[in-house]
Amino acid sequence: MGQRGAFVNATRRMVFLFPGQGAQHPRMAADLYGINEAFTDTMDLAFELLDDPALRKTWLQSDPGPLLHDITRAQPLLLSVNCALARTLIAAGVRPDAVLGHSVGEIAAATVAGVFDFAAALAMLADHVRHYQHAPPGGMLAVAADAESVAARLSGLDDVVVGIVNGPCQVLVCGGRDSLRTVRQQLLIDGVTCAEVTALQPFHNPLMNHVPHWLDDAGSRKLPAAPRGPAITMYSGYLGAVLDDVHATDSAFWLSQPARPVLFGPALRTALDDGPCTLVETGPGQSLSALARRTRAVATGDSHVIAVLPPRRLPPGADTASLAAALTQLGPLTQCHHHGKSDR
Amino acid sequence: MLTTDQLRAAMLSSVGDDESINLNGDYPARDFTELGFDSLALMETCAHLKREYGIIIPDEKLWDLTTPGQLLEWVNGAHS
Repeated sequence: MGQRGAFVNATRRMVFLFPGQGAQHPRMAADLYGINEAFTDTMDLAFELLDDPALRKTWLQSDPGPLLHDITRAQPLLLSVNCALARTLIAAGVRPDAVLGHSVGEIAAATVAGVFDFAAALAMLADHVRHYQHAPPGGMLAVAADAESVAARLSGLDDVVVGIVNGPCQVLVCGGRDSLRTVRQQLLIDGVTCAEVTALQPFHNPLMNHVPHWLDDAGSRKLPAAPRGPAITMYSGYLGAVLDDVHATDSAFWLSQPARPVLFGPALRTALDDGPCTLVETGPGQSLSALARRTRAVATGDSHVIAVLPPRRLPPGADTASLAAALTQLGPLTQCHHHGKSDR
Repeated sequence: MLTTDQLRAAMLSSVGDDESINLNGDYPARDFTELGFDSLALMETCAHLKREYGIIIPDEKLWDLTTPGQLLEWVNGAHS
């Protein structure tokens, strides 16, 4: 840290946050396409590597319908947009000290941290969605209660689990639809706030371990390239902690993620406990920013949150304006951060 | 009639003990997302308004309201 310590701003670590499935919306970040060079080049590279011309069309359509939310469309687009935004910020001089992703956003975080090349990440995700599109039907239920008390309510139901922990009072139950209905009815009777979430498969439930291998008879899935240890600090939403080299380089860790619970809340807390942060939501929407704004570190002003994109789909021009505003906010921080000494 | 202070209290109570939010003077004009309120937190706030004041905001209406100011305006327009 040395020189940086002299300035309050410079002591905040820059942490990029990458949203996952659920954050997608029509034309997410598309205003920047053809306008911002780093963003456009990265998106074009993604479409070329994925070799899927229909994907660009789905992304740019103003009303792509339910197809956009299918994992075969939503997840490759989210990975591409997340990485393209990260490259946009880096090209503007905003470099992350650490990264953290939510569910499939973990792959974008790992790409920015150097665990995967962009091409390998896209290939891994393409393989992953080919495989998991054959998953059994399922869903998710958001519950405004703590993980322990919600887990206690699930005893006796064998196909539902607390699959996502977003915060101390914010979890998602993931699994079979019949059991979710039972859980929902009981929560409503007990006056616990809950809401069905649009999801077609029971992600983050062990049910996802039992998807038949339709495409590879061998039965063993592989990563397209060997993962490396992260080059910068990466907080893993699956560990709820810093990603170590043992997990990072273990193929099974990456391949099993769709069946593992997401501990985004605990991972975010770990990042904030490691010292003051400037959290930068580097993806569509502001779902992760909203979660971060409910932490003590952010509410007290020790850490900051800056979202690169608008909170929801807004009229054309909003993405560009939002990026410009984010860069203005990040600008002074970046200067302190990289030069160590301020001109003041 | 729902006051700014009553809504602030409802929003604060919808946040768990281990969580924290900052609702300072100009909070009604800010976006719910910017204040740390996603759809679940907003539903929790509405449950509180219903319990404490008997105010019912239908879900489909709730998603149209993007700031506390809009919520206050809707409630006070509909219930005055």
